[in-house]
Amino acid sequence: MSRTDAPPQLERVLAMIPWLATHRDVAKTEVAERFRVSLDQLEADLALIMMVGVPPYSPGDYINVTYDGDTVDLWLAPYFTRPLQLSPTEGLSLLAGGRALLAVDGSDPAGPLATAIEKLEDALGVSGVTVEFTTPPFLAEVREAAAAGVRISIDYWSAGRDELTSRTIEPGPPFFALGEWYTDAFCVLRGEARMFRVDRIRSVQATDLTFTPVAPRSGAGVYHPRPTDPRVTLELPPQASWVAESAPSESVEDLADGYQRVVIAVSERAWLERILVQVGPSARVVDPPEWQTIGRAAAERVLTRYRA
Amino acid sequence: MAEHDEEAETDATAERGGADAPDRRERLLNLLAALLESRAGLSREDLVTNPTLGYPAGAAAARRAFERDKATLRAMGVPLQGSDDGESRYRVDPKEYYLTNLEFSEDELAALHVAVTAIGLGSSAGEGALMKLGGLEGAGSMPIAELPFVDVLAPLFEASRRRCVVSFWYREKVREFEPWGLTSKFGNWYIVGLDHGADAMRVYRADRIDGEITTGSPKAFTVPNDFRADSYLEDRPWDYGEGRATDVVIRVDPGFEAAFADAVGAGAVLHHDADGTTVTVRAVELRALVNLVLGFLDHVEIIEPPAARTLIIDELEAWSR
Repeated sequence: MSRTDAPPQLERVLAMIPWLATHRDVAKTEVAERFRVSLDQLEADLALIMMVGVPPYSPGDYINVTYDGDTVDLWLAPYFTRPLQLSPTEGLSLLAGGRALLAVDGSDPAGPLATAIEKLEDALGVSGVTVEFTTPPFLAEVREAAAAGVRISIDYWSAGRDELTSRTIEPGPPFFALGEWYTDAFCVLRGEARMFRVDRIRSVQATDLTFTPVAPRSGAGVYHPRPTDPRVTLELPPQASWVAESAPSESVEDLADGYQRVVIAVSERAWLERILVQVGPSARVVDPPEWQTIGRAAAERVLTRYRA
Repeated sequence: MAEHDEEAETDATAERGGADAPDRRERLLNLLAALLESRAGLSREDLVTNPTLGYPAGAAAARRAFERDKATLRAMGVPLQGSDDGESRYRVDPKEYYLTNLEFSEDELAALHVAVTAIGLGSSAGEGALMKLGGLEGAGSMPIAELPFVDVLAPLFEASRRRCVVSFWYREKVREFEPWGLTSKFGNWYIVGLDHGADAMRVYRADRIDGEITTGSPKAFTVPNDFRADSYLEDRPWDYGEGRATDVVIRVDPGFEAAFADAVGAGAVLHHDADGTTVTVRAVELRALVNLVLGFLDHVEIIEPPAARTLIIDELEAWSR
């Protein structure tokens, strides 16, 4: 994010003046809430507005504002009658946020968000921004259970052990981060909170037990490489550059022969097996040495199916 | 916000040797009002010697303070006309400054508030935009998704909007490129457009662009009306190729049916029999489908045609050669 020394008070005041000019005699509490400031800060903002004038400051050059009691009244502002144009980042943020929310299923494709986006695209002269999420098979079921507070039995594929387990969970509202949907759930089997990847849920069965739905938490806890996870150093051929792009790699270094040397935290051995088998034997595991045969062993295992 | 206020305070303190910060904010607002009001423009001399604007007394200090004010206004997005040569007349054209073409209903503002709070883009710019549009309407939302922006997205978006050709480094080559549109898919941001070097449509991942974007002049290209950025991101690479389409029959182990069907996408036909589930996928580029199947290790097996079976066995046997 780029930092500027533009004081946010100035930007806020420039946004506040036109709104106040069209909303006469309005409660200070409403203004404070709308512009996300404390009442003290609002007083400071209004004091600043009172000082605005164009030299040489004849009476008609000031913005008229009174704010003695619980209300604010501002009228006949000679300038700053409209807000400042949106910056590129602001315009893009509104558009991308709106497009993204519309792409989450369950959004109303003809509701006020859709009409707002149309207006925004017209005003900015763009139409080329699109957002798409993955939709794992049981996302809707998990979302409904989380909202209604219904315990569900799931078959869950544990990628690390490469096995399916059945468990009963109280799912939290699904959250999208790092390209996947997660649910922050309470696992009844273990009696503890656990994060599940929605795309690894292989079946959902509602139970008749209920729980109190929780508010969603932010995805801050989703990124999982733990300090104790083994770091694996791979050397990958040019056609496998998608690995470095799709995995949370810790470092990527271009080598002379067109290969990339990638360091990745691997919490799940099966994940590394899949990557290696997909890339083929031109992928090299450099470190740890005891993992250098993982790809070959996994390929052998898969081959036994074809030789049976 | 508090952090930024402190920063402004520190700046003002540094400039004015301990004088209170509100003076500078007052001066900036009055300067902006004067620039908006002036039709002919005002020279630096006019401005720094105007006692009511309150610039520092010394010529060098006044000039420094004025340069900082100009930079601050520009950083806020104020379209300040006039060059930095010291001879220029400065003004702000009200037509460029004022936001005039956007009117939202309360429902629409509330919906946008929900959108910018539900979708994390890594900055508060969305809320900043809503402030300009009349403050935050309604209660907003809890976060449900994160799609962080990278720094190059705003200049790419602006270039796309103004139809400017851009150039940037990508994978050790300079690309000259018409940015037609931005798309986010599966958590990443991509820029889609016409690459001049390749003379073909290209998709670049925004976070893989090296360094800054160089932007050319506006209205340098046109974008077809039916252009959709997301249609250039391939969903099913086995759909594309030179050969004929083949139906590939794949056995999928219990527990992997939904995941495999999801990975294959629309068009796959599931068939359940006594031995379990098979999925039939029509593929032009067999190698791409083989690659997908390999990702499922020994939980998924290609049954026919023999050509596809041979292909996957070859891939696997390559490890033993």
